[in-house]
Amino acid sequence: MTALGTIDGTNLNGGQKLAVKYFCVAAILFGAQIAFGLLAGLQYLIPDFLYEVLDFSINRMVHINAMVVWMLFGFIGSAYWLMEEESGIPVVGLKLGNLVFWIFTAAVAVVVAVYLLVQIGPGEHSTLWLITEGREYIEAPRWADIGIVVCLLVFFFNAAATFNKGKWTGIGGVLVLDLIALFGIYLAGMFYTTNISVDQYWWWWVIHLWVEATWEVLVGVLMAYGLMTVLGARRKIVETWLYIEVALMFGSGILGLGHHYFWIGTPEYWLSIGGFFSALEPVPLVAMVVHAVFDSGVHKMRSSNHPAMAWLIAHAFGNFFGAGVWGFMHTLPQINLYTHGTQWSASHGHLAFFGAYATINIAFFYIAMQKWRGNVWMSGDLVGGWKWKWSMVLLNLGMVGMTMGLLVAGYEQSQIERAIEGSTWAGYFAAQAHPWFQQGMFWRMIFGGMFAAGYVLLVLDLLTIGRHETRPAQNVSAGG
Amino acid sequence: MIEPVELADFFVTFFSAAAVILCGALYALLFAYSRIRNMPRLMPLAYAAYAALFASVIVLGDAANLFGSLFWAAVMMLMLAGYLAAPHAVWHLCVTTHAAAQRDMPAAPPDSSSPETFQRPCKEKTP
Amino acid sequence: MTTEIWWASGIFWRKTAIWVTAGSFVVLVFLTFDSMSQITAGTKRVPAYSAINHRIEYRFDEARHVQVPVIGAEEPLFGRKLTEQEAEALVDKGKLTVQAKNCMSCHTLLGNGAYYAPDLTKAWLDPFWGSREMREELMVEFIKDPSDKLHNGLGRRMPRLGITDEEARAVVAFLKWMSTIDTNGFPYNFKPLDQEN
Repeated sequence: MTALGTIDGTNLNGGQKLAVKYFCVAAILFGAQIAFGLLAGLQYLIPDFLYEVLDFSINRMVHINAMVVWMLFGFIGSAYWLMEEESGIPVVGLKLGNLVFWIFTAAVAVVVAVYLLVQIGPGEHSTLWLITEGREYIEAPRWADIGIVVCLLVFFFNAAATFNKGKWTGIGGVLVLDLIALFGIYLAGMFYTTNISVDQYWWWWVIHLWVEATWEVLVGVLMAYGLMTVLGARRKIVETWLYIEVALMFGSGILGLGHHYFWIGTPEYWLSIGGFFSALEPVPLVAMVVHAVFDSGVHKMRSSNHPAMAWLIAHAFGNFFGAGVWGFMHTLPQINLYTHGTQWSASHGHLAFFGAYATINIAFFYIAMQKWRGNVWMSGDLVGGWKWKWSMVLLNLGMVGMTMGLLVAGYEQSQIERAIEGSTWAGYFAAQAHPWFQQGMFWRMIFGGMFAAGYVLLVLDLLTIGRHETRPAQNVSAGG
Repeated sequence: MIEPVELADFFVTFFSAAAVILCGALYALLFAYSRIRNMPRLMPLAYAAYAALFASVIVLGDAANLFGSLFWAAVMMLMLAGYLAAPHAVWHLCVTTHAAAQRDMPAAPPDSSSPETFQRPCKEKTP
Repeated sequence: MTTEIWWASGIFWRKTAIWVTAGSFVVLVFLTFDSMSQITAGTKRVPAYSAINHRIEYRFDEARHVQVPVIGAEEPLFGRKLTEQEAEALVDKGKLTVQAKNCMSCHTLLGNGAYYAPDLTKAWLDPFWGSREMREELMVEFIKDPSDKLHNGLGRRMPRLGITDEEARAVVAFLKWMSTIDTNGFPYNFKPLDQEN
């Protein structure tokens, strides 16, 4: 047994050893997401920057693909992290899981290398199979799609077999069922069709149902586990609330798909369905506020891991503002007619993805580091505690700043390009040249830099936090 | 079918839509805080937040031309009712789920460790 | 285990979660079947590929209070009338090229994609092309080599994507066909290239 505060694999169980591998790749891809986001952002300000070398389309594609994959890696890692503790037995088929991790990582590296070096291909099916599928968020070529499904199947097998051999908990049950949906829905995005309306109809199945349904539920699972670990909340209550959350999320999220079917050729009834669920989707968020206040009053709010706790709180706020406020501001069809496909969507996307998903992954990174160093103290008066606090400030402030810059640009765009100029190309460029737009993009860049600085500090902190600690983690298991 | 927002109403639409969600959260927050801390004098503030939400929904409905159709007017009514009732319903759910869990377990052992920064007084509530 | 109030029990909420999920999903599947029947090419909302043989206009519909595409008199693309199969093959090649060149990572199509370059939903009808007579050839030339063409005052340019003449013509066919899709009035208040009124 090594000393407390040293990174040592013996501190982790088998699933957790695999989890930290996923976390490492996730953290690296998070960095790639930021780097390519900065390049793409800069091209708004300096259009000739890297022209025909690394065009905006490539930077933007890597930016959003890195995001999808790092979050997916974070979720998979988090699931392996809690698997053995939840089921009570070692992960079944861990060797296969390990093998798949290396295959998955290698495949991601190949896909990114092809994105950057080959970039595009001739207008033939071979391009879609080998280079890129050219569909936003799921640009990965078809061979990689098949690979992703196989990897997710192995992941599903690990989870289902482990819980089945050990014991099924509420968390385990929801997790396994959600994984079925996770890979099942991905299949909807794996075919080619000439008809762009049909194409986008199924494309939204993958994008929306992944992001606003299965990912949200996955986050619910992780949150439930996180609250038990960090706060010592009771399983029975946490699991009941997980079910309530699943009912609310799927109840509003599945048909909430309607708000993507306003303008792609789909029938008019989607305007009513989308509008209806858009109006009601924030109700569960408001309900969660009550629960959070109740909990904070009933529990002894002592956390064994302050950074993780702080990021879980950031998750609650980020989800509320990013998905709730920013979503509802422009989602009713009466206004979405003007905001659809402008920087409004970018503003909402940035805040919502970060608030809902990046935050919870970062919380899990901290939970992992604590255990990896032998369950070291991570509560108050942490040695070098300024680092996690400052990285958190920089990341959150950077994100809020970027969101605001994009919001101003999107607001101007919806007025000038859409309402006044009638969405012609001349109108589009008039709006792009407007000072509000240009300044919005400038400030987005500044805050993007701040965000990047926060990331560097975050990585530094994750590598060093708890290194000089000699106190064991605070015990919170007695909490009510 | 929908009637798109007029250009002049853009800002009002965005602002009132954001206000609906923010007031909804503020109402829920004050409502729950007032109950958990036994501070009945906060309750009027909670309902003031709801009143602001009510006004925001009406303003939004006017700006986004929602009063023109029965369907959209019904959606607004449902929002008003939903936001009013949700905190009450969730509160009852909180109290009951926690009470049920409490009965299943012996009382938590008294804790002797020093108070932490996150610690808050644990009050007995009277639902 | 003491008696639990049923609506606060984990079992009740587990069942509720399952039923709500299953119910929503069934409704979604039903709606998907209906939507598919309405957006298959060759229907009222999404016209057949041979629509590229005709003039496309974008007119205000009094009953629906939005602009809708109107398929007008015969006006074959590149002066050659195509059969339904030929038209489909051409549009298909265009769609493949649009994906292979990753157009969606700068442009939006039907409003979805990236926001670095203009929306292409009504690219065929955009006043940018100046006149109906010149439009087809201008579009082909632009797509093949945009680097030296007039873009905008910002200095933002489309890169050369190695698009062949055949691919460029197919992309134009795809864009013309896409402009016939009834998008419930999106983009709103659009002012198309000169139309005969």
